[in-house]
Amino acid sequence: MATRERVLVAMSGGVDSSVAAALLVRQGYDVIGVTMKLFHDGGDIPDRPCCSLDSVNDARRLAEGLGIPHYVLNLQDQFGHDVLQQFVAEYAAGRTPIPCVRCNTFTKFRDLVVKADQIDARWVATGHYARIADGQLLRGRDADKDQTYFLWGIERGVLSRLMMPVGSLTKAETRAVARELGLLTAEKPESQEICFVPDGDYVKVLERELPADAPALQPGPIMKSDGTVIGEHAGFARYTIGQRRGLPGGGSEPIFVVALRPETRAVIVGPREELLGRGLIADEVNWLVDPAPRTGDAVQVRIRHRATPVPGTIVRLDGGEIEIVLEEPVYAISPGQSVVFYADDVTLGGGVIARSRRALPVRAA
Amino acid sequence: MPPAPIYLDHAATTPVRPEVLEAMTPFFGPRFGNPSSTHRWGREARAALDEARERVAQCLHAAPDEVCFTSGGTESDNLAVLGAWRSLKAHGKRAVVTSPTEHKAVLVAAHQAAKEGAEERILAVVASGAVDLADAEAKLAPGDVAIASVMWVNNETGIVQPIAELTALAKAHGALFHTDAVQAFGKVEVDATRIPFDFASVSGHKLGAPKGIGCFYIRRGTSLEPLFFGGSQDRGRRPGTENVAMAVGLARAMELAIAEREAHWRELEAMRDALEAALRERVPGLVVHSAGAARAPHILNVSVPGTDSESLLMALDLQGVAASSGSACQSGSVTPSHVLSAMGIPADVANAAVRMSFGSLSTPADVTRVAELFPALVAKARGLAGIA
Repeated sequence: MATRERVLVAMSGGVDSSVAAALLVRQGYDVIGVTMKLFHDGGDIPDRPCCSLDSVNDARRLAEGLGIPHYVLNLQDQFGHDVLQQFVAEYAAGRTPIPCVRCNTFTKFRDLVVKADQIDARWVATGHYARIADGQLLRGRDADKDQTYFLWGIERGVLSRLMMPVGSLTKAETRAVARELGLLTAEKPESQEICFVPDGDYVKVLERELPADAPALQPGPIMKSDGTVIGEHAGFARYTIGQRRGLPGGGSEPIFVVALRPETRAVIVGPREELLGRGLIADEVNWLVDPAPRTGDAVQVRIRHRATPVPGTIVRLDGGEIEIVLEEPVYAISPGQSVVFYADDVTLGGGVIARSRRALPVRAA
Repeated sequence: MPPAPIYLDHAATTPVRPEVLEAMTPFFGPRFGNPSSTHRWGREARAALDEARERVAQCLHAAPDEVCFTSGGTESDNLAVLGAWRSLKAHGKRAVVTSPTEHKAVLVAAHQAAKEGAEERILAVVASGAVDLADAEAKLAPGDVAIASVMWVNNETGIVQPIAELTALAKAHGALFHTDAVQAFGKVEVDATRIPFDFASVSGHKLGAPKGIGCFYIRRGTSLEPLFFGGSQDRGRRPGTENVAMAVGLARAMELAIAEREAHWRELEAMRDALEAALRERVPGLVVHSAGAARAPHILNVSVPGTDSESLLMALDLQGVAASSGSACQSGSVTPSHVLSAMGIPADVANAAVRMSFGSLSTPADVTRVAELFPALVAKARGLAGIA
């Protein structure tokens, strides 16, 4: 009998990774389930660092049902350093981070791959809605669920070891498979939140992690781009570019956050058209294809999850830094968010937005 | 055919012995009575429970009224620390004393006592993990300690603590003394007539009895607040209908452990020493925790710098070898050992600890196989750590 290839599957306890594990078992792989413990749950109980999460229990029960071994991997130190601390630092610097990108880049597809090596697992699988083919990262078949926006940071060489079995299914099909297999998690509700911000209130995390006198949480002016002060805010970290909530009302037209200025703690607001950007500069660029695109190449550009990619051109490419000019301006290009490049279904790579090139000049104070 | 799995986690739990199961069986069937009932079924159960209590007492060189049946080590430890503290705080006692290498059942019970007003005094330990007797003297000397609690045999390293000396110090300064003897019973002699400890905890499932039964030794005349309230069972110290079947099983397991103690020690020690020697020879840089100190023979705790416990344990398990990083944990996630940290072991070494514990299922063939497998897994983990 040929030796079955071993796959390490990251099981969150949710339906997608459950179906991924089940499909791989059905395909005859030697499947090992792991659940990553990434942060302290119930941090107020120092003597119970290992109190069990429901999700760990769900994953464990599911693994028992599938007849596969299951382990909990403690990656709290690495996740804290690579993801959580950086999340806080980015908000403190007036940017809007995406922790899921760094979790994928560092925690799941670097640290977890090392764990896979240690148990001789040829493959690492997850429940992401994306596809891997010929060493390339393709958009998920369900356009509405496609998660490649969060996956651009993976080291290219790792792609050939990844499997994302639900990427070729729609979400509805995934649930149908879960029901057909009688998986416990079939009807589990979708989680869209950042895992370590369960109630959706990221400011609470910042208040916990930052010193009380951190500038990002101190009051500052809310001003228009011409310098007119129209109000005060309780900390610029509470604002994201494009946000309307929490701004003074009463003007003749709706106003939006158009920029954050950490050095003066100012939140700059303006009408919707001031959000338009015709280009951007990104850094930490990572390419998932070889040869990588070059200056002058046309690419499809996505600046937020699930947005339809728009055409753009690479006008400057300088090591880890890239400048893109967009054919049509887009709204709310936010520093700290990701820019991801595509050629049809193929994810070419991406980077972290450093700043946008405005369509309209913003006279900052 | 994969090789037969190897169980090297007897410090976590042990299989129920056939003799124990046989002894318990009638009480799951025809002899099902409630020992508090006055009818014949009740009397039969009462007789069995009384006999079990007498036999357990003999195993500890104690009187039957000094033995209380509990659900196991955690309950017994809580009963000792909190029961003694709550009983004595009204009588001028201010502090509880324990060591940083205790089981969490003692440590967290001591934290709870602190929430209830106690001053928590944590004893210094020397590098081997042994409690520093001079520090114990200093912390007991004020005479205000309600209870001192130190584990007889450490569950992670196997080190044997100087219980006779600690008991004497506690008594000299008017403190009650408790020892968690969960890993000690069946390995060292636990004799209440030789060492005047006030309380001792023993757990059944470490000895071939089922999980969920243990006993608690209470020296006659010692004051103690119960944890539970309701019935008069066990003199009100542990209300609730007694677990007759498992009390009978515990008595049988304890008798067997005592009868076999010395021979068992020699067998375990030979296997532990053989594995330790083989690993020292084959794994460069291997650290053996509490090496050189007096250790119980069933525990070998090693760290391989440059690896991590989690990965090694996973790799061992996938090869059929069950070991542990220290105490078992609900979520299954491996966290750095508080015991090794308290001994001053650097975090990266503590994070690489693997505890292998021998017992009834162990054979010399297990030693041979693990002595081959472990170095190979370590070499692999070290190579990968270098490139990570």
